[in-house]
Amino acid sequence: MSVPTEHLLGLAAILFAIGMAGFLTRRNLIVVLMSIELMLNAANLTLVAGARMHSKVDELSLAGPILAIFVIAVAAVEAAVGLALVIALYRRKQTVSLDAVSELRD
Amino acid sequence: MADLLFYLMAALATVAGVGVVVARSPVISVVSLLASFGALAVIYLLAGYQFLAAIQILVYGGAVMVLFLFTVMLLNLGDPDVTSGQTEPLFHGSRRSLIGLCTATVMGAAGLVAVLRVAWNEMPSVLAIPEGGLDPLDQLAAQMFTRYSLPFEAASVLLLATAVGVLVIAKRNRPGEKAFPSRAVAAEAAPTAPAAPQPASKPLPEPGPEPEEVLS
Repeated sequence: MSVPTEHLLGLAAILFAIGMAGFLTRRNLIVVLMSIELMLNAANLTLVAGARMHSKVDELSLAGPILAIFVIAVAAVEAAVGLALVIALYRRKQTVSLDAVSELRD
Repeated sequence: MADLLFYLMAALATVAGVGVVVARSPVISVVSLLASFGALAVIYLLAGYQFLAAIQILVYGGAVMVLFLFTVMLLNLGDPDVTSGQTEPLFHGSRRSLIGLCTATVMGAAGLVAVLRVAWNEMPSVLAIPEGGLDPLDQLAAQMFTRYSLPFEAASVLLLATAVGVLVIAKRNRPGEKAFPSRAVAAEAAPTAPAAPQPASKPLPEPGPEPEEVLS
């Protein structure tokens, strides 16, 4: 049994689809943020799969993981800002439901 | 053995990802997300990238998850049915969510097709550790600080800007401050000055450190 690159990419696509479904359908703002984290993880897995695909026999490619490290940094930043916004929203409206924040829609 | 572990971890990551989306309690979502991150870290390790696996555990499993759990606990969102009194619908019932579900289904089906079309023994495994061993940390560091030094510095600036921005966003407003009036401040100010004109009843700013001093 061996693992082809397509299986890594397929797993990344499935994880991204799960994250996107959660992002677009859930009402709880915290779960929406977690879905974004899931999608960023799927992107990281794609980077790792690509790096493995372009590795030589005796040397691993490092460009993919380095980019993945920067993606992780950006994901941490996004989580911090998003959760600060959640706390600010809770102070104003006493809820974290997305249905409560629709001022910009109408 | 390593390949079997990969498929085990892939199944765990998928199931935990579904658990994040469908769980009613945010605490269960956070724990499921932690399991998904852990499974992905094992996959990174199997692929030979030990440093990325360590970063995944440290930053995601440590910092980001603590941030999420802290917010859930701080806002007391652990059991939404208890706090709200009734069972609210979990998902949006709108056209947007329908379109999103359709797109996500198509994408997941594409991923499944990609997995199932390639036979298990057709190709060399990408998880085979090369002869040079796992990723050498000195090479990674050398590339990070030479070729990728500009994104590295940009990330440091981004982190600093985030620290300041989060402080400004989540700062509690004291009474008398105009920006971002919170409901608690309004409820506090209303009974003390019911009909008096606004300038006369404006409360004096509390003695204490100015926000600029807090920031510096």
